[in-house]
Amino acid sequence: MPDDALFLISIIALPFLGSFIAALLPTNARNAEAWLAGLVSVGVVAIAISFRPVLAAGNVVRAEYAWLPEFGLNFILRLDGLAWSFVVLIGGIGFLVVLYARYYMSPADPAPRFFAFLLAFMGAMLGIVVSGNLIQLVVFWELTSIFSFLLISYWNHNQTARDGARVALTVTAAGGLCLLAAMLLLGRIVGSFDLETVLTSGPRIVSHPLYLTMLILFALGVLTKSAQFPFHFWLPRAMVAPTPVSAYLHSATMVKAGVFLLARFWPAMAGHEYWFWIFAPIGVATLLIGAFMALFQQDLKGLLAYSTISHLGLITLLLGLGSPLAAVAAIFHIMNHATFKASLFMAAGIIDHEAGTRDVRRLGGLYRAMPITALLATVAAAAMAGVPLLNGFLSKEMFFAETIESHVDTVLDKALPYIATIAGVFSVAYSLRLIHQVFFGPPAKDLPRQPHDPVLWMLLPVALLVLICLLVGILPGPTIGNFLAMAVHATLGPQTPTYSLAVWHGFTPALFMSGVAMIGGVALYFALQRYLSGDVEGVPILGALKGKRLFERALVFLSWRWARELEQNAGTTRLQPQMRLLVCVTIAAALWSLFSRPGSLDFTWPSSADPAFVLVWLVGGICAVAAAYQAKYHRLVSLILTGGAGLATCITFAWLSAPDLALTQLLVEIVTTVLILLGLRWLPKRIEGLDPDMTPKARLRRVRDLLIAVAGGAGLAALSYTVLTWPIGNSIASNFLERAYTEGGGRNVVNVILVDFRGFDTFGEIAVLAIASITVFSLLRRFRPARDSIELPAQKSFQNRFDADRYTGGKDPLSAHYMIVPGLIMRLLFPVIAMTAAFLFMRGHDLPGGGFVAGLTLAIAFILQYMAGGTRWAEARLRVLPARWMGFGLLAAAATGAGAWFFGRPFLTSAFAYADIPILGKVPMASALFFDLGVFSVVVGATVLILIALAHQALRVQRVSSDAAAAPPTEGSR
Amino acid sequence: MTFADHLVIAPIVLPTVAAGLMLMLDGRSRNALAAINLISTFALLAIAITLAATAASGEPGTAIRTYRLGDWPAQFGIVLVSDRLSSLMLVLTATLACAALVFSLARWHGVGPYFHPFFQFLLMGLNGAFLTGDVFNLFVFFEVLLAASYGLALYGSGYARVRAGLHYIAINLVASLIFLIGASLIYGSAGTLNMADLAVRVAELGPRDRALLEAGASILGVVFLVKAAMWPLGFWLPGTYAAAGAPVAALFAIMTKVGIYAVLRLGSILTGPETEGSVMFGAGWLTAGGAATIVFAMLGLLASQELGKLAGYAVVISSGTLLAVIGAGDPALVGPALFYLVSSTLAISAFFLLIELVERGRTRVDDVLAVTLEAYGLEGEEEPGEDGDSGIAVPAILAVLGVAFVLCGVLLAGLPPLSGFVAKFAILAAAIGRGEAGVSPDAWLLLVVLLLSGFVTLFAVVRGGMRSFWGPIEREVPHVRIVELAPIAALLFLCVVLTVKAEPAMRFMQATAADLRGSKAYSGAVLAEPVPPPAPPREGGSR
Repeated sequence: MPDDALFLISIIALPFLGSFIAALLPTNARNAEAWLAGLVSVGVVAIAISFRPVLAAGNVVRAEYAWLPEFGLNFILRLDGLAWSFVVLIGGIGFLVVLYARYYMSPADPAPRFFAFLLAFMGAMLGIVVSGNLIQLVVFWELTSIFSFLLISYWNHNQTARDGARVALTVTAAGGLCLLAAMLLLGRIVGSFDLETVLTSGPRIVSHPLYLTMLILFALGVLTKSAQFPFHFWLPRAMVAPTPVSAYLHSATMVKAGVFLLARFWPAMAGHEYWFWIFAPIGVATLLIGAFMALFQQDLKGLLAYSTISHLGLITLLLGLGSPLAAVAAIFHIMNHATFKASLFMAAGIIDHEAGTRDVRRLGGLYRAMPITALLATVAAAAMAGVPLLNGFLSKEMFFAETIESHVDTVLDKALPYIATIAGVFSVAYSLRLIHQVFFGPPAKDLPRQPHDPVLWMLLPVALLVLICLLVGILPGPTIGNFLAMAVHATLGPQTPTYSLAVWHGFTPALFMSGVAMIGGVALYFALQRYLSGDVEGVPILGALKGKRLFERALVFLSWRWARELEQNAGTTRLQPQMRLLVCVTIAAALWSLFSRPGSLDFTWPSSADPAFVLVWLVGGICAVAAAYQAKYHRLVSLILTGGAGLATCITFAWLSAPDLALTQLLVEIVTTVLILLGLRWLPKRIEGLDPDMTPKARLRRVRDLLIAVAGGAGLAALSYTVLTWPIGNSIASNFLERAYTEGGGRNVVNVILVDFRGFDTFGEIAVLAIASITVFSLLRRFRPARDSIELPAQKSFQNRFDADRYTGGKDPLSAHYMIVPGLIMRLLFPVIAMTAAFLFMRGHDLPGGGFVAGLTLAIAFILQYMAGGTRWAEARLRVLPARWMGFGLLAAAATGAGAWFFGRPFLTSAFAYADIPILGKVPMASALFFDLGVFSVVVGATVLILIALAHQALRVQRVSSDAAAAPPTEGSR
Repeated sequence: MTFADHLVIAPIVLPTVAAGLMLMLDGRSRNALAAINLISTFALLAIAITLAATAASGEPGTAIRTYRLGDWPAQFGIVLVSDRLSSLMLVLTATLACAALVFSLARWHGVGPYFHPFFQFLLMGLNGAFLTGDVFNLFVFFEVLLAASYGLALYGSGYARVRAGLHYIAINLVASLIFLIGASLIYGSAGTLNMADLAVRVAELGPRDRALLEAGASILGVVFLVKAAMWPLGFWLPGTYAAAGAPVAALFAIMTKVGIYAVLRLGSILTGPETEGSVMFGAGWLTAGGAATIVFAMLGLLASQELGKLAGYAVVISSGTLLAVIGAGDPALVGPALFYLVSSTLAISAFFLLIELVERGRTRVDDVLAVTLEAYGLEGEEEPGEDGDSGIAVPAILAVLGVAFVLCGVLLAGLPPLSGFVAKFAILAAAIGRGEAGVSPDAWLLLVVLLLSGFVTLFAVVRGGMRSFWGPIEREVPHVRIVELAPIAALLFLCVVLTVKAEPAMRFMQATAADLRGSKAYSGAVLAEPVPPPAPPREGGSR
């Protein structure tokens, strides 16, 4: 049935499409918006009606689209009698609300937003009722929460609207997540997310060990949505929404989603007494509390909201009873409540609109000014109170009759008739209060506006709904009978009981209860009339039970105070603790994996050791430890000591026959030490020595840190030693030795590894070098030295003071030239060092050297020039563009690598040959040489760029200090 | 070899060349740099998609493409491997890069020097890390991406950025050191650095070597968890990300996923079906760590006032979720986890870009004031709402931002109907639906933390959004350019596509997960003897 599928999907697609169009219309297109929304709702109803004959025969219309079939999530549309009646309800009332909203909303209100959200909500709501897949149902369920949030907060310049919307979203979305969990569990129990399968697996579900967990989660979802005690508090707060929204969402549709779900899953889940014990007590509590609170509301919409809560409690109770007949009553009451409550909300909106206030105490005697509204509201309120010949009476009668039956034999069950009667009394009382205090009595004075009946179009929706109340109430059989039967059959299937839809059943106990409720209600109202008209705010007795206040307090606590405190305790923004954690976790991880399985690590202690080598290591070790010890208080000392440790490493490499590494290490030590020295000048002033008044706590912290450091260092030393003394075994290391010359064309294995075997690593590392240098440059470019490092260093100011005392003109004629001799030598060294670099570069492939070392060497030559002549002098004579050097280097390396492509080989495949160059003779020319050239270029560029960045600090500081009118700047070098 | 075969290395060489060219130009003309960057980045996207398409074809010869650098045998040289997982990460990286780059062109790329080279270097590092099949080479590319990220984290300067950026640098430098220790332990014990070779050798190691290898793997694991910001190793993340410039943060969204990728990749290598579970990877406590990460991030979300911090914690949530799910050790969960990875990364990236636009024109004072007002409003008597009969028409640009904000919030919280929900649903359905004897404790844990974190995210995003869009303080309408909106729209659109086309996407993820289940196919493909190409005549001694 492709047409069926198309129609079915249009039920959902139409509103969403309409919503999209509505959002794009201009702000003031109120009429176009209303037409659009109206047509969409009529379309939905029309489609639904076209399905009626099929469904009346007891069939189910289905359409299925694959979404995520592997996980059982398909997009299934499923229309049966129950869904059908909801579709008609949603579409029909939607149409009336749209009509009403057209005249209710002010021309200044942005119409696109309102109608777009309203239509989207309609789509989501329709999605819930026609979903044939549990997860898909949750999808639409959450969508209704989101759109309801957006609708409640429509007037978002209003603080209460924002708060109300947020509370509603918080409660219903949380419930939605519980529902999702329930549906996931239900899917697991049944083995499918298909609604059809679930509905027929009742016995399996009820007997499953996960049933109770699932049911509780399900209940949380349903009860939050249908505003059941103790989650009811969001509904009255949501009354800040525009009245059409209240009429639509909070009486007819969204709050019915919860009870719809109860009805939907009734055949699958209700067959256990847990069902009764969860839903019946909550239904009773909500029924009573809602009715009681409604009576004491001073706001018209507040009264209606609590009355809605109470009626929803009634429906929950009916469904919770677990008897088929009660379920019938529940479904019937869902329909009836939607009609009379929506019309009452609209009437309340009209009163608010025309009189300018919704405060019951300020209103009065309005029947003179607005007779038609008064008439309609009175009939609707009578239906709410359960007056005979109106639809509310019928379903209430069924409810009363059902309470008398016994279900689960308990105290609660026995008390039900009395509870129902009491609730009825209150229901009559608040309905009466609504009508009597607003429309009758002395006419209200000083209303914000002069009230009168609104335009006909605004009354029409109310009138239509009231007409339905009347028709159903007088002639239930011919009007609603078939529809109800369809819905009931679809819900209960074979369990459908026989019921009769007559106005008159004879003198039954239920009729007696109705009578008591009616008389009691009238009596109660008139007894309380004086009290209610007084200056009372809030509800007696239950007033202390402020759900929303408790909820907000809890939220503030949870979401601000506790969260912040816990976040601060469980986390940190300080660096030291983070480092400590990192080291500790690493140590723990290593220890755990080494010792979690039976012992396997054994040291082989060295049999003999060269005393000289041991001495080198002893010195190196002492340097390292001392460097760490001095790191905080004497940076310069610490740096020098680090250099000592580095030298020990150098000697070790040389000792162990790795001259290449030794050479590299030596140059790296030199360059980094010099660069750090240049940077040291700009660090903040050091803290002098240990604080003698250190608290014991701080001392303890130091001891702890020392222990961690010792553990980390010792562990690392042990690991290194273990690896170094490990038998070589089946390692690829020997392969490098074997192949370096035969296949790599070089005798220097280290260099062949660097530029050939693992040339790609080098390729990456030169990029790292380039990045590091531009990072340093861009960080320092904006860097302003700390205040305390702007002054001249102590030595220098001492010298200046000394000079000023001693010489006229404040300058020692000699001291201006104190660098002249070393400076000259340094300058003269430049070509020599550059030549050395070239030499190291060329021989790299066979002997210690290579691009990296050569690059560092040349960089040292540059550093010397800066040191000797100062930044200005050096830059006036020697213009280096380090970024170019780096760029060239990277491109050269990449080009060398890519050259192999033209020979059909992968990146970085090397070739080597001997080139016959005049004078020099046969020179080995490996393609790796060009790669090495790239390395060389990047190293030079990167080092010089960092040098420049640091050197320019000095220039900048001079500017800063001269701005501060300090001592005139001296020579730019340091 | 034809030129098409070199496509595997293109994602690394191309950004390097682009960055080299940019350095040659040395900031001469910002537009030229932007042009190079654009060409390179979009070309990277095309290349990545091509590679992914080849990998997805699933044919035995092409699904795992290898590339032997220097033409050395896989064990001795370095090898690049492009399989489903690698190419998926490449596509994701390139997508974020395109979005972030286009966004930056409006304004951000002019804030400081060297933005474009940093950008390309970061892409080089990321692509290299995803492609390499060698443990030490992985370290090298970690270095590349970290170095570039240092530059980008500090990009734009300012007190907050430098402070957070220096913390970030310090921690990651230490992490790099630890990486080196771990890598050398693995080399020392197994005698190889090649991942495929490692997978073969792990099974043959004696107990001594095995213990040392596991120590190395655990130490390495710590580094990846630092990258993935697992509690308690990830405190650096929210501050750094919040302080970073919007396009930088948007691109950084992929950075935590590098850690996840490494855990997945090495986890698959080190715990094959033939070897006992390794201590570091696949142990139950990864789930616990992931759950702790989520809990911490939830607290952070609730406690944070700025949107930037909020987005930072959203990153942590995403990481924690992935760790928890992967740590559960159930192969069926890996596919949905990858789906989640893609969806959450796209959403977070869009969110970072978006909040910069939303926050534009607001000052810190506004935020502080808003918080005080809120706290005051709750403590004191309820203010009677102004009786407004009419709403305020929202300027179109705010409406667009608002819609994007709602979509981002829905995606981040994993609410229906977008891909965030599909991902969470798939994870939970896979976790709950399995096992004969009831629902496992791991599955319960996942159910609770995933749903709870979704709720908290929703709450925090709504709170933040209300403060930004509906705040009690009058705000100026931000000036937003179309190149700034387009990337956000594109990223969100991709999420929508992922939602609608959930089935084919999930199929790809499941196939990827299946690849990871056994290292045999991987090792086989990488270690296979290459078909010798017809040797071209070469001068001198060719090998």
